[in-house]
Amino acid sequence: MNQKQIRWAIGVLGALGVATVLVLHGMVFFWVPTESTMGIVQRIFYIHVPAWWIAFLAFGLVALCSAVYLWLGDERLDRAAVAAAEAGMIFTTIGLLTGPLWGRVAWGTWWEWEPRLTLALILWFIYLGYFLVRRSTVNPEQGKRFAAVVGIIGVLDIPLIHVSVTWLRSLHPQAVILSAENPMNLDGSMGATISVGLLAFTLVFASLFLARYAVGGYEHELDLRDASPGSIQGAEA
Amino acid sequence: MSFGLEAVGLVRTFGGLRAVNGVSFQLHPGELLTVFGPNGAGKTTLLRMLGGVMRPTSGQVRVAGAPADVASRDWRHRVGIVSHQSLLYGQLTIEENLRFYGRLFGLTDLKTRIPERLASVGLTDRRRTPVRDLSRGLKQRAALARALLHDPEVLLLDEPYTGLDPHASGVFREQLASLKDGRHTVVLVTHNLIQGLELADRVAIQIQGCFSSVTDAGSLDLSGFQALYHAAVADRA
Amino acid sequence: MRTYLRLVWAVARKDLLVELRTHERLTAMGAFVVLIGVLFNFSIDTALVRPQDIAAALIWMTIIFGGMLGLGNTFRLEQEDGALSGILQSPIPLDALYLGKVLGNFILLSVMVALVFAVFGLFFSLQFSGNPIALLGVVVFGVVGFVSLTTLFSAMATRSSMGENLLPVLVFPLLIPVVVYGTTATDRLFAGRPVAEVSGNLRMLLAFAIIFTVAGAGLFRFVIEE
Repeated sequence: MNQKQIRWAIGVLGALGVATVLVLHGMVFFWVPTESTMGIVQRIFYIHVPAWWIAFLAFGLVALCSAVYLWLGDERLDRAAVAAAEAGMIFTTIGLLTGPLWGRVAWGTWWEWEPRLTLALILWFIYLGYFLVRRSTVNPEQGKRFAAVVGIIGVLDIPLIHVSVTWLRSLHPQAVILSAENPMNLDGSMGATISVGLLAFTLVFASLFLARYAVGGYEHELDLRDASPGSIQGAEA
Repeated sequence: MSFGLEAVGLVRTFGGLRAVNGVSFQLHPGELLTVFGPNGAGKTTLLRMLGGVMRPTSGQVRVAGAPADVASRDWRHRVGIVSHQSLLYGQLTIEENLRFYGRLFGLTDLKTRIPERLASVGLTDRRRTPVRDLSRGLKQRAALARALLHDPEVLLLDEPYTGLDPHASGVFREQLASLKDGRHTVVLVTHNLIQGLELADRVAIQIQGCFSSVTDAGSLDLSGFQALYHAAVADRA
Repeated sequence: MRTYLRLVWAVARKDLLVELRTHERLTAMGAFVVLIGVLFNFSIDTALVRPQDIAAALIWMTIIFGGMLGLGNTFRLEQEDGALSGILQSPIPLDALYLGKVLGNFILLSVMVALVFAVFGLFFSLQFSGNPIALLGVVVFGVVGFVSLTTLFSAMATRSSMGENLLPVLVFPLLIPVVVYGTTATDRLFAGRPVAEVSGNLRMLLAFAIIFTVAGAGLFRFVIEE
């Protein structure tokens, strides 16, 4: 895709995404019926749950791009991984902020070690680790490789973490929370609202991803332009 | 007959920096190439690529006619490296270091090989000394013993004379001279003009990642070379 | 295969030999274990809490914190006089280098873990009525997983400007399964529960250990190359 096409795609996806988000808000606040057990605060679900799915989808994308990057060495794959990671981290943060907001009302506490929230916190830290290692090396290519390794190890570990945390939780069941965690008891309009939420966030994610990818491309071009046959600072003979 | 050591268009970039910018040369078995150059010219980077320690961004290294890339391990017993660092474990004795490296190179006759090698560098009576207790000169001799333990055909030396007093330099030079037996192909990077010229068959000046000239050493004397060197550096400045 | 294993052992042996000479890592880990035991003693009000009830948590947290101390500098030896270049130039396959480091670290950490059990058993008068083989299994599988992951990341930490400070941030989130399954199994075993109740945990710990040792071996070359 050339630059013009990418900019066009970013614009269209962004506009569509924002529009869908507005539609989503309309549905959430005015259309969808209130859920019986939890009341009005349950509506945050329609933001919270899609943010979740995108956060994990993004990380899956990070891991996939990282694996292929290590295999093929094409820096465009690394650029895609970073773009997915940055956008993914945004959605993880949204998930982490909306979770406790709901929790305060639903459970009475700001924080609960319920599996999804716990996993969100861990995922946030794995994303953090991804960015920290990238910047921590003298040689930028090495940093990219390190980040790719973090991405791959992360994606291998996340299912294990999820299973372990869920299992631990199941040892001490708390009825209210268990039912609150399960969004599967949805009637038609709730299902539709969640789907719209998912669509909205996917569009916004795609737009952010492409934008970051494009910016990464400009950064790369600048790096190449600065490249000159030259001496290296530091310990070199 | 194949070349002892060949470099074909070696390039190495670090992010935007071109440390080695297209170096090619061919050495017949038994030839010694001395590489001079100002600090930061990329000489260490070049040697690291020749030794298979660093992956070239593009280009190829060939040892005894066969490709010698970073991923493969089967050509490595043909090459030995000496650096200005000792590459030895200070807490272990010379003998223990040699035993470790001998095992890494898959050598099975260490009981005879190590004493022979120690004798050839004159370190037999210091073999039980921890390396960190050795003087700089003795450390370099131990480093050379390590490099030659597996009897490589190619030897790469990165500023081995660094920090050696005149006596130690002389001893080291003797060791190098004994390698001029028609079997060993050597690349020597040094700032020491006298030692560097004395044993060389060919001389290269590396500036900003390229060989600005490669000359037959036979035709050069010290003052002639100094003029050539200063001209080359001034040219690129 | 035999040559491969010999190479792995050569690396582990060298690390252990250095440790025998300097005692640096064992001393640091050993002192840490004893002192953390002392601090725990002062921080737990035994009138309110029985150390026996939280023994598993204390033990595993100490293993992880103490282990970080010892594992963080896994590759520092190789940095000092450039020995890493010597090893990278040699024919040793990079995954063998990794496994050798993991093996050496596992042996060192096993010594530390034995010390943890001994010291905490002594300091807190812990009673153990469970199956010792099962406990051994839990500890071995858990430590292997811990060591594999941390060794891979310590190679990154050594080469980065943030150094070993980066290590806990990277590794702690990833160790959650080890902590979850390790502590619950240890808890149950200390309480004398039957082995059947920890068999699931053992399987998960083993799976973790296998997955991350294999992943570490496969990914190591991307981390150790210049």
